[in-house]
Amino acid sequence: MSIAAPEPKANMGRPEPRLDARLKVTGEARYPSDVPVGNPLHAVLVTSAIAKGRLDRLDTEAARAVPGVVEIFTAENTRELKPLEYTPGGGGASTSVQGLGPDIAHDGQIIAMVVAESFEVAREAAYKVKATYAREAPSASFGAAGLDEKPAGKEFPKAGDAAAALSAADVVVDAEYGTPTQHHNPIELFTTTCVWDGEHLTVHEPSQFVYGLKNSVAKRLGIDPAKVRVVSTYIGGAFGSKAQLTPRTPLVALAAKRLGRPVKLVASRDQGFTIATYRAETKHRIRLGARRDGKITAYTHDGREVTSRPDAYKVAGVSDTVRLYDFGTVATSVNVVHADRNTPGFMRSPPVVPYVYALESAMDELAVALGMDPVELRRINDVTKDTVSGKSWSSRSLMKCYDEAAAAFGWSRRTAEPGSMRDGEWLVGWGCATACYPTHMAATTARVRLLPSGEVRVQVAAHDIGTGAYTVIGQTAAERLGVPLAAVTVELGDSDLPPGPVAGGSTTTASTCSAVIKACDAIREKLVRAASTANDGPLAGRSPSDLSFTDGRAVASDGAAESVADVMQRLGTAALEEYAEYIPHGVQQDGIRKLYSGRAAMTGGPHGDKIMYALGAEFVEVRVHARTREVRVPRAVGAFAGGRILNPRTAHSQLMGGMIWGIGSALHEATEIDPREARYVNDNISEYLIPVNADVPRIDVIMVPEEDAEVNPAGVKGLGELGNVGTAAAIANAVYHATGKRIRDLPIRIEDLL
Amino acid sequence: MTPDHSARPEGRSSPAAPGLDRRSFLGAGACGAAVPLLGAASAAAQPAVAAAPDVRRPLDVKLRINGQDHRLALDSRTTLLDVLREEVGLTGTKKGCDQGQCGACTVLLDGTRVLSCLTLAVMAEGRAVTTIEGLARPDGSLHPMQQAFVDHDAFQCGYCTPGQILSAVACVQEGHAKDDAQIREYMSGNLCRCAAYPNIVAAINQAKSEMGA
Repeated sequence: MSIAAPEPKANMGRPEPRLDARLKVTGEARYPSDVPVGNPLHAVLVTSAIAKGRLDRLDTEAARAVPGVVEIFTAENTRELKPLEYTPGGGGASTSVQGLGPDIAHDGQIIAMVVAESFEVAREAAYKVKATYAREAPSASFGAAGLDEKPAGKEFPKAGDAAAALSAADVVVDAEYGTPTQHHNPIELFTTTCVWDGEHLTVHEPSQFVYGLKNSVAKRLGIDPAKVRVVSTYIGGAFGSKAQLTPRTPLVALAAKRLGRPVKLVASRDQGFTIATYRAETKHRIRLGARRDGKITAYTHDGREVTSRPDAYKVAGVSDTVRLYDFGTVATSVNVVHADRNTPGFMRSPPVVPYVYALESAMDELAVALGMDPVELRRINDVTKDTVSGKSWSSRSLMKCYDEAAAAFGWSRRTAEPGSMRDGEWLVGWGCATACYPTHMAATTARVRLLPSGEVRVQVAAHDIGTGAYTVIGQTAAERLGVPLAAVTVELGDSDLPPGPVAGGSTTTASTCSAVIKACDAIREKLVRAASTANDGPLAGRSPSDLSFTDGRAVASDGAAESVADVMQRLGTAALEEYAEYIPHGVQQDGIRKLYSGRAAMTGGPHGDKIMYALGAEFVEVRVHARTREVRVPRAVGAFAGGRILNPRTAHSQLMGGMIWGIGSALHEATEIDPREARYVNDNISEYLIPVNADVPRIDVIMVPEEDAEVNPAGVKGLGELGNVGTAAAIANAVYHATGKRIRDLPIRIEDLL
Repeated sequence: MTPDHSARPEGRSSPAAPGLDRRSFLGAGACGAAVPLLGAASAAAQPAVAAAPDVRRPLDVKLRINGQDHRLALDSRTTLLDVLREEVGLTGTKKGCDQGQCGACTVLLDGTRVLSCLTLAVMAEGRAVTTIEGLARPDGSLHPMQQAFVDHDAFQCGYCTPGQILSAVACVQEGHAKDDAQIREYMSGNLCRCAAYPNIVAAINQAKSEMGA
């Protein structure tokens, strides 16, 4: 065992190495743009240089004259593409801005695509496309003229009379917080390769939802979805950016069809900032009222979120924050602010990253106002019954997480006074915050096949975006069928397989493994029946409940056993195959039918009979240099409870990576916007800062054992989006502790601390 | 009103922008050579001078990649990265930004780590190119650095991994893996968005002793 592969505790599986590890360290793992296709043409996008107005003229003459250019696609020759409705959820279109003009709705909108014999030629020609615009002044973000702000819905969580409770409170915190635009920036670019074989289209594209992409591409092309296959075997990071149809894909498909050759697009890094989605900037006003003894009596949270002009994307994280503590009374609202921007979308832990940042900062301010330890404040307000709905929790281990993380961190040595823990030139600050993520389950299917040799094949169009899905799905089948992991082959990421869930909402492990368990159990059932009802044989006449499976054998409690091969011979079959559908409690019965047509059906979090969340506690140390105000995070400790942990190794990596994302959120990441042009200024990954190796000295991840039989058959809550929630608030709180300065707008920079 | 730049083929970033990489680990010679050549390419519309090579006319280039010779007809603007991926079929080398910022395209040139997106293919002529596909032994057994990355789960999505591994091999060979702090500094030109950084450091620590460093 090592730090990367922790010893399993109660209710945890083995820390097996990833099934795809060898492929990934040898370069053999084929990401979509790696898949060889015969004699492809290469596409380069041309994007708009204004954010609002009209494309008056697009002069492609010089571009067409470049030898090797085959065709240039513009609004003129792509009109046959059918407009799609914008879909805020998994699958569907990421934006309603799909055409190449003449109307320009955001900076960096695709206005043309050059297709040529080589990438170099296509790029040269793309530079020669000349556009003339009728420009209008755009509204870039909060504070601009011409914004359109409206409520994001009819109703938001509310309980009791918060206004009255606030005026009666002994202590009130009233503060405003802000979070910036962030871009996912997976290292893999947004690529699409389309290949037609007669009427059949194959799309190689990194996707978090191949069934969604298949169906929405088909709709936009106006063809039968049965004729479209999407292959996305390995995905080079996604974080929410690859869950929907973006405008590029149908263009590439159309080009390949019309030109009769495969077409390959690898969009540039800066184009990725505007041709896909991002995390929109948000603003928050929070009021917390409390009694002198620390009991919270009122919580109000008013959120505002930027979105595009046509699409009302929102995350409305108040529906999560209101669950966190026993608030007494609650009043919330969320507005969307329409600006001349591309449409935002899901980015790792979409609702909770900004909203929990704001709440957990306010909690720290309340602890300071009360003169109380921030951990104790959370303990006093730990909740068993939801303030808004009155529902109980399926399981809740928040204070266990706080206690384990605090002990590992050494929290008891903290002195409360800001600036009191100075170490030479460095002002030391310690802070903490809560992490949470709703436990989501999605309708899904899976197919499992067992051969007499003990070889198992699991097939589902789920996705491994780096999460370890291949491995935990394989482990689940191996465990259930009693075969070694090495005997299991897992196939994912191909819309020719039975449909799986969108790799979003941290649903994949919980949902897919629940379907795999169901399919494996159906196979076991057949084996058990054949072995126990046989006229002869070692297990004849045994009670089915007495049999288990291990090492490729059905085994009774007294040791009598029969090999799976023999049982299958008894059945007269050379393979046992089962297809299973898992419909989580709370999802309509048509959930699977919807899934086949590319729509995700999801439930969980606050929406079921019980409140279901994975929780954690994060503690960080910051060091702020006394003169330069440089901020470093020398160490962070997170303790997390997420139900059953199928693989402590991959779980550790996800949680650790999430916490590092939180460091990025707190100190590095922000897409800067030119307010005059509504344009992203730092649209590259040298100026859009993400954490690098030197930014990350020490991260300790503690997995707190937790059992929850109510969430789903796998007992899994999902960890992919838990780790990066809370980190930013913990850092902001630690910066306050170090310096006495409360920075409420992220990211925290040197100039904020001067 | 029309902005000066009328359209944005690849946004506003010039492919030949100076300040080539994040931590400047690429030798200045390679960067210096890339700029004028790309500049020449963008001026391709000028009338061709007799005998001057047309940028579109295929060049005859010999490359030695992973011990194998390849003879290729190339556009002079083609980067080593695009040759590896599109011409030779070695797709283990990844395109993550195409402008020297992420490190995903790192390969070894005569044992030195370089960004193949900032290296024109012609510049690699006569030099030994090592990609991720050339790191394991012919019998299939993994290089100690590859094995260490597996052992320490030093990746998640795996996309930056080939570049990380080649950079890590060079980091050890350069003598820049003396302690954790030095490894972190000298590996900071390779971005990992999944943020496997602590595991990458652990992997390099394991591999460096097996590599005899």
